[in-house]
Amino acid sequence: MNSGPQSNCNPCGPLLRVSGLGKEYVLRRPFSRKKVAVSAFQDVSLAIFPGKTLAVVGESGAGKSSLARCIALLERPTTGGIELAGQNLLTLSEKELSRARRKVQMIFQDSASALNPRLTANEIIAEPLLIQGEGTKSQRRERALQLMEQVGLNRASERKRPLEFSGGQRQRIAIARALALGPQLLILDEALSNLDAANQELILKLLAELQAAQALSFLHISHDLRAVSEFADEVAVMYQGRIVEWRSARDLFASPEHSYTRELLASARSVDSILLERSA
Amino acid sequence: MAQSQKLAWSVVVLAAFSCVVLFAGFFVPYDFAAQDRDTAFAPPTGIHFVDAGGSFHFRPFVYGTRDLDQGAASAETYLDKSYPLRWFVRGAPYKIAGIFTSRVHLFGVEKPARIFLMGSDGYGRDQFSRFLYGGQISLLAGLIAAILSVSIGIVAGGIAGYYGGWIDEILMRGGELFLALPWLYLLFAVRAALPLHISQWQVFLLLISVMGLIGWARPARLIRGVVLSAKERNFVLAARGMGASDAYLLRRHVLPQTYAVLLTQITLLVPQYVLAEVTLTFLGLGVGEPMPSWGALLSSLQQYSVLSSYWWMFLPAVLMIPLFVVFYAAADALQELHKSVPL
Amino acid sequence: MRYLTRRLVHSTLLLFAVSIFAFGILQLAPGDFFTPISLNPQISAHTVAALRSQYGLDQSFPIRYEHWLQSVFRGDFGISFAYGTPVAPLLAVRARNTLLLTGTSLLVAWLLAIPFGIWSAAHRGKWADRAGGILTSSLLTVPDLVLFLALLLMAVRTGWFPTGGMTSAGFDDLAIGGKLDDLALHLVLPCLGLVLTTLPPLVRHVRSAMIEVLEAPFVRAARAHGISERRVLLRYALPVAANPLITLFGYSLAAMLSASLLVEMVLSWPGVGPLLVEAILAKDVYVVVGAVMLSSVFLVAGNLVADAVLFATDPRIRMD
Repeated sequence: MNSGPQSNCNPCGPLLRVSGLGKEYVLRRPFSRKKVAVSAFQDVSLAIFPGKTLAVVGESGAGKSSLARCIALLERPTTGGIELAGQNLLTLSEKELSRARRKVQMIFQDSASALNPRLTANEIIAEPLLIQGEGTKSQRRERALQLMEQVGLNRASERKRPLEFSGGQRQRIAIARALALGPQLLILDEALSNLDAANQELILKLLAELQAAQALSFLHISHDLRAVSEFADEVAVMYQGRIVEWRSARDLFASPEHSYTRELLASARSVDSILLERSA
Repeated sequence: MAQSQKLAWSVVVLAAFSCVVLFAGFFVPYDFAAQDRDTAFAPPTGIHFVDAGGSFHFRPFVYGTRDLDQGAASAETYLDKSYPLRWFVRGAPYKIAGIFTSRVHLFGVEKPARIFLMGSDGYGRDQFSRFLYGGQISLLAGLIAAILSVSIGIVAGGIAGYYGGWIDEILMRGGELFLALPWLYLLFAVRAALPLHISQWQVFLLLISVMGLIGWARPARLIRGVVLSAKERNFVLAARGMGASDAYLLRRHVLPQTYAVLLTQITLLVPQYVLAEVTLTFLGLGVGEPMPSWGALLSSLQQYSVLSSYWWMFLPAVLMIPLFVVFYAAADALQELHKSVPL
Repeated sequence: MRYLTRRLVHSTLLLFAVSIFAFGILQLAPGDFFTPISLNPQISAHTVAALRSQYGLDQSFPIRYEHWLQSVFRGDFGISFAYGTPVAPLLAVRARNTLLLTGTSLLVAWLLAIPFGIWSAAHRGKWADRAGGILTSSLLTVPDLVLFLALLLMAVRTGWFPTGGMTSAGFDDLAIGGKLDDLALHLVLPCLGLVLTTLPPLVRHVRSAMIEVLEAPFVRAARAHGISERRVLLRYALPVAANPLITLFGYSLAAMLSASLLVEMVLSWPGVGPLLVEAILAKDVYVVVGAVMLSSVFLVAGNLVADAVLFATDPRIRMD
């Protein structure tokens, strides 16, 4: 298959290493003995380095979200291993797992459903601290306000509820919440897909700033090749549950190897040219 | 009228009625068990402002009556003896909430006159007094039983919905068992299991427990549905990603989603259970004499003589209707409001 | 076909569970039929013990349940202590009367609910629908007991209908036509009571089921094809709305059985209800169990019929 790109920069080794990961869902039809196994993805091996962004692209249904959820430890993979900073995540005890969770956080596609509509912005952002038992109530509140400023939200709106914010602002809340525990890896599961182009720009800028300031790594799942192209250091292409190509962004865009990658790029370019034609 | 206004009004009316019922001893002139065979089956006492001579009195009054042989229903009224209505009179002692004793009643008349706002029954007991005291029994029974049902429902539905698997199967099959029986038959059957001759309080408590234990299945099913969909929401997933335990997730994120359903269920169940208690007592299977449950007030209507001659014995039934109207209005308003609140 | 067999097996198991449950609960009761007698100082404890032993009341729960099961297969369902006869014939007569009442009421209620519901859905929002809505809401809020008592009151005051019972005194002397008339006359009030209590929720459900279907795209497509509104309602919408309604049938049966118990008591209709109450007061255990099982059987059978109808009419079920 494909090994990673010739990465030149890292003294510590990858932050996250995934080897041979696979996930199968077993469905049982009601009242029958038959079991159907549906494979979401198989034999996925990837690595993400500190302070770098890995984009995983592919069409809907390719298994990207499932992969994201496994890496975020929201689901258990059927086969393979996940290592975070050298630690095997799949063999941890409950307590160790809880501590490991601080290092990996996820941002969801639909910001409205990712935030509990009954809580205020401050409560939402401070929740990770509450769950992990950090600080007193006022300390948590203060930290949440700091985070709000960091992501570009007005401190004064801390008591508002999610539905009172716009889509872009809600994603900022989600980002602030994800940052609360000082993670090393952020997983963006189609986090920009529900936003309009202007907001996408703004959020991408914010993420880039955060990455530079805190040496964060990003795993960016997307079906939109163009959004990914500016931001990613490395790109992995997923097709029908497998990784078909995994190279540095520059190389991939310049000379794609796999036929599917070429198709993806071609369709993205043709959309671009249609838009260009229209605006001309 | 907007739904929230409707809800507000219903709650106000229900609260007011509950207050009156709670302080029943104060609002009624007589004790619920006070008998007087001379005034059996007396029609509602007329309250007059103008006397036989044509002069107007600010203070309303009633006339004394003399019993004829056929009983109070055909009593003769003494037009020369008038008894003014007095406010804040001292009368029979009563207990408030079972703790404080008082003798002050809102209104009353001097003996030997009687003021029967809703007439009297076969033992000469004031129906109005019995109606308000009865509210304590019937409403309390309904309320506690409803809360019991819903509590069991939340535990069963919550566990079944959240954990799924075999425990879900068992709980839902068990619930199906309860739903498979016509509920009144089930209630009767269980009532049959209880000893027939035990103290009033025990009957009351057993009755409430039985009603509550029977009706858990439907709330449980509804709550299970809410929990099933709530636990898949992204914000629950996100909280899990932060390391939250099951208990935390249930408490903070999943169960609060069920509050709307809970409230509506309680509002619907209370009148049903009140009715169940009334029906049981009506048929002689509930709290017994002299407890004035509304069912007891209505049970004499099963006799032909009562139905044909003493129309006022029907009044408690009529008065129950507006109460139920208010309950259902509240339930309706809650359902409509809950629909428009984003989940 | 496998679906139906599954449902049949499921229902039988359910009935077994119900019987154990009902039987079990009654065994928990302290005291039994002979307790009042045992309080009588003139009757020796020895006699009471002998009576108890004769009726098997001194044996353990599993043994009694087994004996009861045997009696079920034998067909007599145990003995009524109060009447001194087997339970089955006692129940059979009462069951026939209850079925007559409940069956008629169910039929009338559905025959009224469907057209009313469809009509309300078709004229949704207009004043006629709103008036209907107010009517059903008002009817809903009147407690069953109050309604039945009101009917009784009306009978007593106006004399238009008999005040209770199933037949008049001289029933046996009447000719067939006269007998039917007499029966029908006695049937009116209890039937009316039952219909009035179960009609409002039925109408509401029919109406909302129809409204939901009428908003579906395929209905809009049918209208766009120029099909008459009447045909759309009856030949397109109704069959689809039938699915939830057939399921509703089961629930309406349950509600009606419960209500029938009360109406039989208030209007003295000699059905299972009065027998049950009597047996409870006397602790006539086998009668109580028998009556409860009977009502469950009615209910389960009704649901099975509904399932079968659903299976026959809704192709989606057959695909499973």
